[in-house]
Order: sequence, then structure tokens, then C-alpha cells
Amino acid sequence: MIDSEALENERTKLKREIAELRAALNRKEQCLRDLETTISEATGDEDDVHPDTNGGVCHTQLSNDDIARYSRQLILPDFGVQGQLRLKNSSVLIVGMGGLGCPAAQYLAAAGCGKLGLIDYDEVERSNFHRQILHSEARCGMSKAESARIALLELNQHCEIRCHTRLLNSRNAMHIIRTYDVVLDCSDNVATRYLLNDACVMLRKPLVSGSALKTDGQLTVYCYGNGPCYRCIYPVPPPPEAVTNCGDGGVLGAVTGTIGAMQALEAIKVIVGLGDVLAGRLLIFDGSSCLFRNIRIRSKRPNCHVCSAQPLITELIDYELFCGMHATDKDNPLQLLASEERLDVEEYRNKVQQQPHLLIDVRQPAEFEICQLPDAVNVPLAEVLDDSYLKRFSKQLEDTQLPIILLCRRGNDSQIAVQHVRNRFPKHSIRDIIGGLHAWTHKVDPSFPIY
Amino acid sequence: MSADGPVVNVHVLFFAKSRELAQTPRSKVDVPSQIVASDLLDQLVTRFDLASIKDNLILAHNESYIENLSDKILFREGDELAVIPPLSGG
Repeated sequence: MIDSEALENERTKLKREIAELRAALNRKEQCLRDLETTISEATGDEDDVHPDTNGGVCHTQLSNDDIARYSRQLILPDFGVQGQLRLKNSSVLIVGMGGLGCPAAQYLAAAGCGKLGLIDYDEVERSNFHRQILHSEARCGMSKAESARIALLELNQHCEIRCHTRLLNSRNAMHIIRTYDVVLDCSDNVATRYLLNDACVMLRKPLVSGSALKTDGQLTVYCYGNGPCYRCIYPVPPPPEAVTNCGDGGVLGAVTGTIGAMQALEAIKVIVGLGDVLAGRLLIFDGSSCLFRNIRIRSKRPNCHVCSAQPLITELIDYELFCGMHATDKDNPLQLLASEERLDVEEYRNKVQQQPHLLIDVRQPAEFEICQLPDAVNVPLAEVLDDSYLKRFSKQLEDTQLPIILLCRRGNDSQIAVQHVRNRFPKHSIRDIIGGLHAWTHKVDPSFPIY
Repeated sequence: MSADGPVVNVHVLFFAKSRELAQTPRSKVDVPSQIVASDLLDQLVTRFDLASIKDNLILAHNESYIENLSDKILFREGDELAVIPPLSGG
């Protein structure tokens, strides 16, 4: 008899091994490229290469390959050979290889940026592909930075790419950022945005900041000229409950693509000295109506805690503490209810599901449409909290013997719903399902879709 | 919005989280033709349920950031106000 579980495990194992071998191969290839560069420099193959003050090399001429490859941008009057050389001698750090970082890195590598640093602690997974367009199915499970490097080198083998496969934090940020000319904030969380801002102010590095959620995007350049920093605009972080991440709120790939591509454009303008850099202005993109708005934002805040003449913050702080949020966009399980107010998925399946009960799924209708448990009724959390659900279930709610079970995707919103409903119906048995539908897939029915 | 003195009608645009909280992308409201920015913010917060993001938003009048909430704002009929909270996703 064929043991399908063993086969599945074998398949997963093989896929992972192949991904690791590909990553190892890629690292060896990068070592080889580095070595070849060193050898050619030592033997003086390139007359146009001079050591610069940072110990790197400074290109003073374009190769024939450069001229052929970049011809369409070289003939731009404001860009030209000098612009291309500036790009070739530049180094850009991209923080986050997700929906913004992928297109930004792609355009910078393609345009001939000499050095790219890629920071991401995370690994490639299936839910990334719709917007994180450098990663591929073959590289599922690989580090995002490594995966992006492979794709970028296929695009332009002359780009020197350095991967930083770790979470940026207060201990490593200054050391990493110091060696780059420009920084792109392509991160997905508030704590990293404040960390990057403060580090860039302290190191005087222009910070090209992009963000996106649902069909909205924002873009501006901080720490450039007399322009403000992130803290001048947002001195205090928003409360955690007012922050939505892409995993919960959703996002369209073409929206992150739009903002990411514009981040690359602003970085190129900063490096080349082209046009008017988007500093002191905030670009607001509303993808649903395709409206772009430029808001004139303030100049430096005279009493800014980090960029004013008398700063209160002179070294990096604990940004997760400052924001009350983790420096990732992963969800933190809430713990709002006592254990007797919660129900294990197995207990629900084995006991409660067999008897009369009211199962209320508090997710958004668009999410309910993706998948739902049998007998579940959909009442979005907002309708629970504003009590508009009461009319719909007035008859069932009269029966205090009818257990009420609240359910959501991961077991966070369902706890908020329990807190609200039990205040109104103190005599009912009201519980939520621990871990929500994700737990249902993991513990009860592996064929139930997960998103 | 009630107040003494002349009142004008302005367009209010809501972006990102404020659009969710206000449950609309745009609205028209009557505001005093002269009002201190912090009073204006308080009125918008109350009317459009923005309490959770009150301290974390940009208020822009005719596409210009209102730098100082103690400033007096002068409105004309048809002016535009934008409520812009930060986005952090990516």
C-alpha cells in the first residue's frame, strides 16, 4: 500500500533540498564573480577603475557593453554618460524584498546600479507570488534575499548584490546602512519605519520611503536636503489596533508595483542629481480611482526628536517597544479571553458540531466567500460590534440554551466578538474557536483551504 | 458642523485607514470660514469616528499640510481638506 503521507513528506524534503542546493550554487557563483573582479583589478585589466575613498572602486568610463545595454537611457539629455557612471558607482540598500522591494530592486539592477544590498529575514512562500515578482515557485522556502539575488543576476550580471538575511534591528542597522549611499524603505511594519528613519537621519542617508495597502500607496523621500524626516510628519506611532498589514487588509500587486517602481525612480534621481526629488512632498496614490495627489508636507519640525538641531534621540532605541508592535507583519496571537471562554477545534468538531448551535463567522464577506464551515453564518466583526446583527438573530438569541460559537481566520477577531456578545447575553454560553480556520485546516481537515 | 459666523461648504477626502473609519472616500461638510486647526480636527474626529488615528494623521488644506494645529485656517467655499494617515504595509 502506498503511504501518501510519506510520499508527501519525501516530496517536501526533496523540494527543500533542491532549493538549498540552488542557494548554495548561487553563493558559490557570487564568490566566483567577486574573485574574478579582484583578479581583474589586481592585474590592472581595467584602466578606468580607480580605488575610491571607501576602499571600493570608482568607475570613470563606461564599457562597450554598458553603452550597448544602457543606450536608451544614455541618450536622455539629463541623464547621459555622467548619470550612468554615477549609477554604476552607487550603492543602494533595499529593506524588505516584498511587494515594494522586488520591483524597486528590479528597476535599479536593470538601470545599472553598481551595488545593491538586500535585507529580508523571511522566506519565499506561495502567498508572495502575486506581488513579489522576483521570486519563483522553484524558490519556495528559500530566503527572499537569496531568491531576489538569483533573479536580479539573471537580469544584470554586472550588478554586485549583497544579501543581508536577517531582521534589521537597533544593533545591526547602523553598521549595515553606513556603507550605502541611498536607502529604500520597502518594509511592511511601523517599527522598522521608525528604525530606518532614525538611522538614516543619524547617518545622513536619503531615505526613499514607499508603502502600500489594499489599493492605496504612499511615497516620499525623507532626510534629503531641507526636507523633513518621518518623525517630523508622524512624531508618535499609531496605536496597534489602527494598523492593518497586507496579510489582513489585502493588497493588489499592481499597486505595490506602481509604488516600488517609483521608489527606484526617486533613488535614481537622488543618485544622478536629476529632476526634482520628491522631498517635502508626499505622493498619495489611490489605485481604485487612479488618482495621484502631491501634498506639500512640512519642512523639518523645529523640535523634532531626531532631526532637529537639539535632538533628544541620538542613538537608536528599542523600536518594538516604542511602537508596541513587532518589526514584522506577522500576526501576534491575541490573548483576550480566559480558557473556559474558548474552544479547541477538535472539541468543536467532536461535541458542539453534533448538536444545535449558532456558528457566527466574523470575517469580511470577501473572505467568507473564499471558504466557510458548514452551517456558519457570516456576520462581519463591525456588524457584531455595532449590534446590527441583533435583529437578524432575535429569535435564536432568545434561547439561552443555544451555544453561540464565534469564528474567524486565526482566532483574534473572534475573541473581540466574544467580549462584545457576552456582555449583552451574560446567560448564554459564548465561546470562540482557538486558532480559527487555520487551526481547522491544521488539526481537522487538511483539505480545507488556507489563505 | 455648527459655529458662529459665516459657514462654508468644503470637500473632505479620506485616505487609507480614515476611509475605513469614516466609511466613505469623500464627504462635504460645512465648516466655519475661520477655525483653529485643532478645533477643526476635533470636529472631524467626532463626526467621522477617527478617534483611533487622531494623533497619527496628516491634515492637508488644498494639498498643503497644516503644520501647526494652533494656526487659524481660513476656508473658502469649495476648498479641499484631506485626511491622510500613514500606511505601513509593503
